[in-house]
Amino acid sequence: MPENNKTYMVKANEFVFSFGQEEIDKADMVKKNEEEFNLIRNNRSVNAKLLNADITGKLLTVEVDGENYDLVIKDELDQMLDKMGFSTVSSKHIKEIKAPMPGLVLEVAVKEGQEVKEGDKILILEAMKMENSITIHTGATIKRIAVSSGQAVDKGQVLVELE
Amino acid sequence: MQKILVANRGEIALRIMRTIRKMGIKSVAVYSEADRHSPHVLFADEAVYLGAAPSSQSYLNGDKVIAYCKELGVDGIHPGYGFLSENAEFAKKVEEAGINFIGPGPEAMKIMGSKLAAKESVKKYNVPMVPGIDKAIDDVNLAIQVADKIGYPVLIKASAGGGGKGMRVVEKADDMQEQMERAISEAKSSFGDGSVFIEKYVSSPRHIEIQILADKFGNTVHLFERECSIQRRHQKVVEESPSAIVTPEMRKRMGEAAVMVAKSCNYTSTGTVEFLVDDKLNFYFLEMNTRLQVEHPVTEMITGLDLVEQQIRIARGEKLSFTQDDLSIKGHAIELRVYAEDPLNNFLPSIGTLTTYVKPAGEGIRVDDGYEEGMTIPIYYDPMIAKLVTHGKDRREAVQKMIGAIKNYKIEGLTTTMPFGIFVFEHEAFLSGRFDTHFVKNYYTPEKIKEKQKDNAEIAAIVAIKYWQERKKMLSPVEHKSTSWKRRLAH
Repeated sequence: MPENNKTYMVKANEFVFSFGQEEIDKADMVKKNEEEFNLIRNNRSVNAKLLNADITGKLLTVEVDGENYDLVIKDELDQMLDKMGFSTVSSKHIKEIKAPMPGLVLEVAVKEGQEVKEGDKILILEAMKMENSITIHTGATIKRIAVSSGQAVDKGQVLVELE
Repeated sequence: MQKILVANRGEIALRIMRTIRKMGIKSVAVYSEADRHSPHVLFADEAVYLGAAPSSQSYLNGDKVIAYCKELGVDGIHPGYGFLSENAEFAKKVEEAGINFIGPGPEAMKIMGSKLAAKESVKKYNVPMVPGIDKAIDDVNLAIQVADKIGYPVLIKASAGGGGKGMRVVEKADDMQEQMERAISEAKSSFGDGSVFIEKYVSSPRHIEIQILADKFGNTVHLFERECSIQRRHQKVVEESPSAIVTPEMRKRMGEAAVMVAKSCNYTSTGTVEFLVDDKLNFYFLEMNTRLQVEHPVTEMITGLDLVEQQIRIARGEKLSFTQDDLSIKGHAIELRVYAEDPLNNFLPSIGTLTTYVKPAGEGIRVDDGYEEGMTIPIYYDPMIAKLVTHGKDRREAVQKMIGAIKNYKIEGLTTTMPFGIFVFEHEAFLSGRFDTHFVKNYYTPEKIKEKQKDNAEIAAIVAIKYWQERKKMLSPVEHKSTSWKRRLAH
């Protein structure tokens, strides 16, 4: 395959980009030293610093504008392997409500078996002395309540299971 | 005073102890189970354990604090801000125990601590006030009647409140019940007093406050204003002094009103008189905070005074060594509160471990913080990590220094309000000075930060590919078959 038809997929923190070889070749980058680079893109002159690179050179950390970006480079072979081993199952059904932040459960407003509709208050979570109503964004039945009032919960911990 | 106990934690405890040490006084730290490793405990000359992590079992236990003071021969207590700082009962008990309370007297604190009593006290001094009901209510129907009279939206406020806690905006009568319940419940759990009142919600308001300083001989001065209009969830995130819109004439009138408020309750020590300023630059008295304020560093940077030192001097009976005429504003100072919060997700707490923590440094840059690399932000207290303050010869220079300092402040392991800070300091409304407390609502969307991050991520990605390809070239020349062929043909 000719070099200039290659595409690369790059994951940078939560962002995913895809570049062709031509675009990479055209990018105006100069090297200041082994770690520091300057790139002019859309007339913006930006300095970037390479903080880390693994032995393959495909896992890197680059600092731009004071923020660090963790990068994963995938060439065509990597992308093909991903496709073969990866299948997505998506479901629109919400099966549980998780804590959006760590905090203390102040009050549980629902019972197991109860039917709830969109916007109903499920519980109150206190974090940093602020009380936050946790509401539901879909109609459902409460299958199980996994926490009780007075309990401290971590971010992402299941609060209630739905069906 | 030989030994001062600081009844607080985090950055403010550390900041107070630094001044205590500078003045040649011994310091005593208090700590909860969650804070054994905190810098304020490591810095102090002595430290005593208060109890379990929740503040009700530790930092709010005033009796235990006083008992320790007696045991350790402490002759002064500095309460910092939050916790016991505005608890008049506690201040009274401290005085009765023969210990010097570094703050105002319990009487002044009691009057100003209740927003309702404060309104009463100030009434006779002709200080302008926001329309509303001047007594506590818990009856939803009465609340709706009052709101109908003064017009929606209205603000439910905790009489004992502060820092935006127990405060709720109500847009329509239907929401009154839920919001009143929440406000009363929050007020009870945060301040131990569930009384709330209702005020007209001034549209396009700015929040500007005056710092005052009063000794025990009747001398009261003001240390100019702080502009605190950039807020989220009614809590300040950015403060600066001087304000971009306050004229010398307005500053003089506001300063005089603030001094009057302080005198109305025989105030001593440092205090802050908060005003709402409407779009026509009318100002209204909101409340007085009877403590050292979170944002006091901006005032310190433009006046050159150490406010904690002033508090200690006043507490031990010294006269102010300067008059109003001796005071002037030097340059411009800005503060950004660095909270462990996610500005991309509604400013929800983002608690975690500081895996990387490197502070910026330089002339005109000040960082007041209470954490070190490797520490975890506990869920039990306010999620503020640090206050980043910059000082410049004018506003523009202070803003530029701030942007540079944010970029050099490396925090990893959790998200902070710093990207929001950059958003503010680069925003046209902030730079022009034409903004109010609705800045976040009017201008801020997480997408704007996201877009910028995406641009930078793309740049990082291009740099990464280029670097990788260059390295690959160097490491595996075998891949470049065409050159090898050329070379072979040339022979």
